[in-house]
Amino acid sequence: MPMIETDNLWRTYTMGQEKVHALRSVSMTIEKGEYVAIMGPSGSGKSTMMNLIGCLDTPTQGEYWLNDQRVRQLNDNQLANIRNREIGFVFQTFNLLPRATALHNVELPLIYNGTPKAEREDMAKAALAKVDLADRMLHRPSELSGGQRQRVAIARALVNNPSILLADEPTGNLDSKTSKEIMRFFDDLHHQGNTIITVTHEPDIARHAHRVLSILDGRIASDERVPESERNGIH
Amino acid sequence: MVVFGSIFRIAGAALWANKLRSGLTFVGIVFGVTSVMTIITALEGATGAIEKQLDTLGPSTFMVAKLMSAFSEEEFLEKIKRKPVSIRDAEIVEEDCHLCEKVSPRAHGGARVKYGDKYIRNVDITAGTANIVDIVDFEVAQGRFHSTEDDLYKRRVVLIGDDLREEFFEGVNPLGKVIKIGPEKYTVIGVAERRGEMFGESQDGFAIIPLSAFIRQFGEPRRRGINMLIKARSVELLPEAMDEVRVIMRTIRKVPYDEPDDFDMETADSILEMLNNFTRMFRLVMVGISTISLVIGGIVVMNIMMVSVTERTREIGIRKSIGAKQKHILLQFLFESVMLTLSGGVVGIILGFLIAQALAGQIDMDIEPSMLAISAGLTVSTGIGLIFGIYPAMKAARMDPIKALSYE
Ligand SMILES: Nc1ncnc2c1ncn2[C@@H]1O[C@H](COP(=O)(O)OP(=O)(O)OP(=O)(O)O)[C@@H](O)[C@H]1O
Ligand SMILES: [Mg+2]
Repeated sequence: MPMIETDNLWRTYTMGQEKVHALRSVSMTIEKGEYVAIMGPSGSGKSTMMNLIGCLDTPTQGEYWLNDQRVRQLNDNQLANIRNREIGFVFQTFNLLPRATALHNVELPLIYNGTPKAEREDMAKAALAKVDLADRMLHRPSELSGGQRQRVAIARALVNNPSILLADEPTGNLDSKTSKEIMRFFDDLHHQGNTIITVTHEPDIARHAHRVLSILDGRIASDERVPESERNGIH
Repeated sequence: MVVFGSIFRIAGAALWANKLRSGLTFVGIVFGVTSVMTIITALEGATGAIEKQLDTLGPSTFMVAKLMSAFSEEEFLEKIKRKPVSIRDAEIVEEDCHLCEKVSPRAHGGARVKYGDKYIRNVDITAGTANIVDIVDFEVAQGRFHSTEDDLYKRRVVLIGDDLREEFFEGVNPLGKVIKIGPEKYTVIGVAERRGEMFGESQDGFAIIPLSAFIRQFGEPRRRGINMLIKARSVELLPEAMDEVRVIMRTIRKVPYDEPDDFDMETADSILEMLNNFTRMFRLVMVGISTISLVIGGIVVMNIMMVSVTERTREIGIRKSIGAKQKHILLQFLFESVMLTLSGGVVGIILGFLIAQALAGQIDMDIEPSMLAISAGLTVSTGIGLIFGIYPAMKAARMDPIKALSYE
């Protein structure tokens, strides 16, 4: 059974009289353990797609099954639970709480599932150590570099051991050196069995994945496996 | 539970992060609650003191006098022209009233009291028959009250209030000592239990003598007249006893059937009621003003919370995107508004009590923290936080995660 399955998915924004079809009839499946890159020009609907997969948004039409659950039928609490436990979302713009320390930011998902304080702190510290930020735990986002913020965001996405990691242009704001560090980290995660879906503009980054979905004007234009010989990173 | 504790801390941290804004709102609530508490506590305290005083009269006792209350100057001028109530009236009532257990005529006067070379001016001289002690709840600390015999033989004996004992007999046994009331000599036979102060006036600067001795010295009070304390046979019979006394009094004083009474008749309860009627208007106005100030405080809280929710739209989006439920967000903002109003309420209650106490101190009255005022203050301030905080909190809880995240 596929982990993610969409059938004829539409997402239409209504702007006054005008209708913008950000996604048009997207049908696809992603299996557990896959590493998928989504590519496409700006405005083609990549973020829209990620938001739907991440249960942050609801489709205008069509169906989406996540782990065999029909997402349309889930209520607000169930969606919150999925966002909390099953999905780790790394946003293009980090989306960290500006006033909170790195540690508190990473703790956040654990707060909402009722993890006791001591355990929560241990888990958050471990996640920060994994992204090499053990010595920056008490820094606020404004006291961290772009790459460090991105890593805090990744630690937060991973702290709950989600089965799916969704990353929307995780290296969009980073220099090539930091980008490489982050991508190496993703490679490791994939190695450990996580399902990863990442959005990117850069072919170089996309070649870390095993499969590339190209989106054009809201439709899937191509769906190709990356031959092993062309892959980047350690595999 | 862990979740709620954490959310509580998050709410506290957010208030702390916006110190100035939270502080101003807090001060607003403190002002509102302080004014309400001052008024409630002061009113409660004053009424309580008077009630305590009236409680010394039993529930089956009533009073008859020429003039006991007047609500206007005309009424007062009308009543002051009445014929005084005389000792003779009291004697007839005592004889004819079957539903009355005891009738005790009393007279009041003021005189200079002297012992050795010490003296006190204008001491309240209360004169009564021996049975007054059965009606008024007097505690004798030392010695005794005058007897029927003392009254019969017009003996010059006196029971003194504690102020007199303190002034004249500090460290000495007052019993058997002779003091002078005006020019006449009286033997001290008893000392009353200390009664303390009310509205800044000592309740212990009095002397009680037999009514017969009073008349022998001062004559029957011609203008003020005497008053009667009457105890009905039982509480149930009080209304009938009052009716009976009314009929007897009207007959003695030859009041035509179509004229109103030419005397006042009150129970302790009716005196209390008069008092309450008097303070009710005052209370209503004050409660009105306080309600307005609290509603304004509530609107300020709501406004601040709306600003806060709008300002923190992205934060709400972030929290929802990583798994916060609607109830978590709702609670976070409700905690914030209730923390603001409740802490303002607690400070307001304390300040209000201190101010009421300071005011009461001006007139030497002692007030206690009123449970009613405290619980009203806590309920009202929590209520304001909930009522005016729920709309902003719901607005926050219902935000769409994606829209909130992309809010600029
Ligand atoms: N809230 C919205 N209201 C109206 N239109 C929207 C909204 N969000 C996205 N769109 C439109 O939907 C289309 C797809 O947007 P989306 O953000 O998915 O693009 P993208 O592929 O992620 O682009 P980029 O690479 O620039 O991030 C765009 O044309 C965009 O203008
Ligand atoms: Mg995008």
